[in-house]
Amino acid sequence: MAILETRGLVKRYGSSVTALGGLDLSLQPGIIGLVGANGAGKSTLIKILLGLIDATAGSASVLGYDVFTQGTDLRQFVGYMPEHDCLPGDVSATEFVAHMAQINGLPRSAARERTAETLRHVGLFEERYREIRGYSTGMKQRVKLAQALVHDPRILFLDEPTNGLDPAGRDEMLDLVHRTGTEFGISIVMASHLLGEIERVCEHLVVIDGGQLMRSGPIREFTATTGTLVVEVDGDSAGFAARLEKAGLTLIPEGRNVLIAVDGEGPYDLVRDACDDLGLGLVRVELRRQSLEDIFREKTESADAAG
Amino acid sequence: MQPAETRTGSIYDLGYRNYDGVRLGRRHAAMSLYWYTLRGAFGIGRRTSSKILPILIAIFAFIPAIVQLGAAALFGDEAEIFKPQDYFGFVEVPIALFCAVIAPEIAGRDLRQRTLSLYFSRALLRQDYALAKIAAFATALTLLTLGPQVVLLFGNGLATDDIWGYIQDNWAELPQTLVSGLLIAACAAAFCLALAAQTSRRAYATIAVIAWFLITFPIANTLVYAIGGVGSLAVYFSPFDFMHGCTLFIFNAEPGFDSVQDEAGYPMWTYLVAVLAYTAAGAALVLRRFMRIAA
Repeated sequence: MAILETRGLVKRYGSSVTALGGLDLSLQPGIIGLVGANGAGKSTLIKILLGLIDATAGSASVLGYDVFTQGTDLRQFVGYMPEHDCLPGDVSATEFVAHMAQINGLPRSAARERTAETLRHVGLFEERYREIRGYSTGMKQRVKLAQALVHDPRILFLDEPTNGLDPAGRDEMLDLVHRTGTEFGISIVMASHLLGEIERVCEHLVVIDGGQLMRSGPIREFTATTGTLVVEVDGDSAGFAARLEKAGLTLIPEGRNVLIAVDGEGPYDLVRDACDDLGLGLVRVELRRQSLEDIFREKTESADAAG
Repeated sequence: MQPAETRTGSIYDLGYRNYDGVRLGRRHAAMSLYWYTLRGAFGIGRRTSSKILPILIAIFAFIPAIVQLGAAALFGDEAEIFKPQDYFGFVEVPIALFCAVIAPEIAGRDLRQRTLSLYFSRALLRQDYALAKIAAFATALTLLTLGPQVVLLFGNGLATDDIWGYIQDNWAELPQTLVSGLLIAACAAAFCLALAAQTSRRAYATIAVIAWFLITFPIANTLVYAIGGVGSLAVYFSPFDFMHGCTLFIFNAEPGFDSVQDEAGYPMWTYLVAVLAYTAAGAALVLRRFMRIAA
């Protein structure tokens, strides 16, 4: 069953600005990355699905509930971590998260209990009794995640969850998102413009641009292994490249690396023999996987060339 | 088997479990917001500094009742006992101050801190949010409008020899006391929130509420006494005046000689209509504001 489905979803502001132009989506449970440049319509889509803004046209359902007619029922099972700051400064994390749990329909005692568990899950311990205003950005992001998780949602919408975090905080947050999605059966829709993050965490990728769906598919379809072998040698790489070229291989130099178009088993033996003959140390032989960054770089470069 | 120590690296593993218990939905969400707002109005669950002002102002409202009780205890029957319908005159300034301090907090806080998107993406409708806020603020205000009356009723009873006799004698006024206290609280709550919700800036909201109570009062009195005629309509724009008029009407009491209601000369029921109209208009404005606001 699709966990999230939209049909011809349109959002216009006034008569000139189209944020979403007839979006058709059908997504299976899992960790879904929502990618697009700033202004592509990621946040608009999430806000429509959460009932925060109305759509101009089209239909949408999440977890089988109609977003527009069954909103309050649906949203008991939905968690949302906004991109922007959304925490009051003058209450403690415990107080705030427990309140949010009750707003999501949990009885008081269950709310208290789950608040403690969820705050531990996101890595907040003794500091959870202090006022939020004294928290670091990393701690605030954790509280934001905790309030989205405290009622054990079936689907979680994360809008740029690593916003403002340092590299270590970023790693921890991504780890947390990944574990939440894989270990507790919570589907996650994570919007980001950082492809590296999406690649690390998500199983499925949705690319939108200018309010249109560009592509939707499992991550591995995007990053299928390419026919490129990366070889790094210790020593005279130019001579090494020349030797391989003479043997009839197509080469692309890339810094100290030599990239070889692979086709069958042949190149592996040639690389081995060339190293042996020239007395070079073989540092790395790797069949390259295309990263998401590469795909989008190619796309924007060709767009630039066309423009 | 893995040694237990390998798990110490991932201490976050403690805790998260799936939840299979009940989910109580929209009504529970609205009730929770009501209680949270009510507690917040008195700074409960917040730092000490946010408790000081609301509690201090609430004490102001109780001081006349306590002074009266002290006088009754010292001088016995000779002390004149406040009538319930006159108590509004003693609490009107504390009510205005309480509204000026608390209404911007209740109406603007989630807007300033951008918490609205968290509320509106949960099992709660925008109208539930607005109504829960009004109800919580009105409840907080009843502490000021009704609390001192309760203290007076029991205190005066204690001062006499026969407490139950006293309470029975004064029982007849209890419904009027309740109705007037609730109406004034609802009216002040709804309209002050309507004023305060129009801006996310705290200072502007406070000034708007203060102006509604305290600036209109001298202007209205000047217009009524100095000009009269059409100028007397100003009583309907001064909350102290029309709320007092409403209280008098509910107790079926005559306005005092030369009071502003006496001078204006309108039928007393019109003040009840004014209170109801302000309450309805205020609630409608608060609803409208939160239905439209971007979250």
